[in-house]
Amino acid sequence: MNILVFTKRVPATQEEELRIIDEGQGIDLSKVPFKVNDWDNYAVEEAVQIAEKTGGSATAISIGDAESDEVLRRAIAMGTKDGFLIETEQILHDPNARATLIFNFLKKEGTPYDAIFTGVQSEDDQFGAVGGILAAKLGLPFVSMVISIDAFESDHVIVRRELEGGLQERVRVMLPCVISIQTGINEPRYVSIMGVRKASKVERKIFKAADYQENLVSKIEAVKWVYPPKKGGATILSGELEGVCKDLLGILKEKGVYQ
Amino acid sequence: MSYALIVAEVRRGVFEERNLDAIGLCALMEKDISLLVTDSTYAMNEKLVNTIIKIKLEEALFLNPLNMVGVVKTVMDFSGKPDVIVFTHSSSGTELASYVAGYFNLPLITDVNGFDKERGVFYKSYYSDKIFGEFKQTGQGPFVITVRSGSFKEYAVEKVSSPIDETIEGIPIAEGRSFVEYVEEEKAEIDITKAEFLLSVGRGIGNKDEIPDYEELADLLKATLSGSRPVIDKMWLPKARQVGTSGKTVKPKVYLAMGISGAFQHIAGMKDSDCIIAVNKDPEAPIFQYAHFGIIADIHKVRNKLKDILKG
Ligand SMILES: Cc1cc2nc3c(=O)[nH]c(=O)nc-3n(C[C@H](O)[C@H](O)[C@H](O)COP(=O)(O)OP(=O)(O)OC[C@H]3O[C@@H](n4cnc5c(N)ncnc54)[C@H](O)[C@@H]3O)c2cc1C
Ligand SMILES: Nc1ncnc2c1ncn2[C@@H]1O[C@H](COP(=O)(O)O)[C@@H](O)[C@H]1O
Repeated sequence: MNILVFTKRVPATQEEELRIIDEGQGIDLSKVPFKVNDWDNYAVEEAVQIAEKTGGSATAISIGDAESDEVLRRAIAMGTKDGFLIETEQILHDPNARATLIFNFLKKEGTPYDAIFTGVQSEDDQFGAVGGILAAKLGLPFVSMVISIDAFESDHVIVRRELEGGLQERVRVMLPCVISIQTGINEPRYVSIMGVRKASKVERKIFKAADYQENLVSKIEAVKWVYPPKKGGATILSGELEGVCKDLLGILKEKGVYQ
Repeated sequence: MSYALIVAEVRRGVFEERNLDAIGLCALMEKDISLLVTDSTYAMNEKLVNTIIKIKLEEALFLNPLNMVGVVKTVMDFSGKPDVIVFTHSSSGTELASYVAGYFNLPLITDVNGFDKERGVFYKSYYSDKIFGEFKQTGQGPFVITVRSGSFKEYAVEKVSSPIDETIEGIPIAEGRSFVEYVEEEKAEIDITKAEFLLSVGRGIGNKDEIPDYEELADLLKATLSGSRPVIDKMWLPKARQVGTSGKTVKPKVYLAMGISGAFQHIAGMKDSDCIIAVNKDPEAPIFQYAHFGIIADIHKVRNKLKDILKG
């Protein structure tokens, strides 16, 4: 089974202060470290495992600037056969534009596959859309929020997808298809720095996004970046750690959950 | 005619509450609303929409993206193109919306949580709610939207005394994907929805080895330990202890969150707690917007100090 798996390099913003600059036209990410999109880490692991089980191979693909080579090396270190970079300096906010770029790329290069894996969503833009748009453009079946691939046959897969509140749905999907992988589907293997370094020896092919521009237009525009509206917010307990902790215990007592 | 088309989610006979957010947004946009829904038994306030279009498809067939393109096509042939097609930002809503947008080559904005009527811009979260983007459609419509649950419910108001009823049948059923069965979560060792006091830990705890220390703190406080999704994904805690949209919705007297950033999927599962206390080292963490009390500090230090005090 040959699988194309998408992997995106994203800023790790969880612990960072993000500043809006240029009167809302930009966000300062210059001091923010970058990492692999969490969802794609699970997707790559799943692709590698399925390829191993079925005797095929996985190829990692990323769209981004030259730095995105980092997530391809990481994917190779996890076990993909190779990695393709569709290189562009431009940030394509519109998931439709990104899916069109991928669609054009697959068509022009004639890359063969039995299944395409993406993550459920990008951590940075949270669109959760590239997989579904791509599938529809390719005229392929699509399934998202996949937390288990129960059976992988020559012409179909049986997957479990997550709904809300702990409910799941088992679905049969014909191949080829597009599958968007949810976190928790597997335990992504540990990748050492040594492993990533060794992966540098495996060739990553670089393609220029400029060669795949047919019908590629952004259908939405990011007008401006703003900070979320404040919602009242919390009363901050401040001061010495000891005092803060005692205040906290005081609140617990007052609420009647701790004596 | 200018109207909004909403694809409603009815799951196992329940008209999902989040459909009201889609209705609310369309009311805010001042659109006539046509609600697309399976022709089955469910309860909703029908006065909230102008037209109800019942599709003769079983629930699982209706909520299948491959069939939904046929549904939307039939409706557009029948009623003309809507200005906007709205889905919920849920497991199925996002799946359907992206497929419909891709199939008909339409502009798509997902996870919309705000709308500025004057300027016609939609707000969409970036970086787990640390930044919002103002988005506008530029391409040919109708455009497709998914709506974050809890965002627009209050704008859903009664519009008509009884809506126009339409029924559509004969939708072609695609073969590429089919429903097999629902799978329920296994019975668990514990029910966190019954707890009065939850100590909930997030990715901020760093690694699995920290869990025993938080368990000990929970014991000392007589609290029940729960967690955010990454903690469960990594199997640091069992699935039954997950709080959030894909876990449990909890409403304890006190919800003490340590090292949790406050993504909306998490917030949706705990926001109605009587008292929310958040401990996080990042003063910008969105969870502080929902908490009643906050401590900006290293969670391990807070944990250790609390343990010292409690042990006397
Ligand atoms: C379809 C779908 C369903 C989902 N369902 C759920 C769900 O049910 N429940 C859920 O929780 N999530 C769910 N998620 C995931 C959600 O989007 C977030 O990714 C997740 O909630 C983040 O968890 P977190 O806050 O623990 O981690 P992060 O967002 O990584 O936050 C970690 C926080 O810890 C803080 N921190 C780190 N170290 C320290 C320290 N030493 N001291 C103090 N603070 C520290 C950081 O500042 C940060 O704020 C879902 C996502 C999708 C797409
Ligand atoms: N620039 C990119 N490079 C590689 N994969 C991407 C890129 N953008 C989106 N994807 C894939 O599409 C999924 C969903 O992304 P999104 O629609 O942006 O939330 C991600 O998890 C990736 O697998």
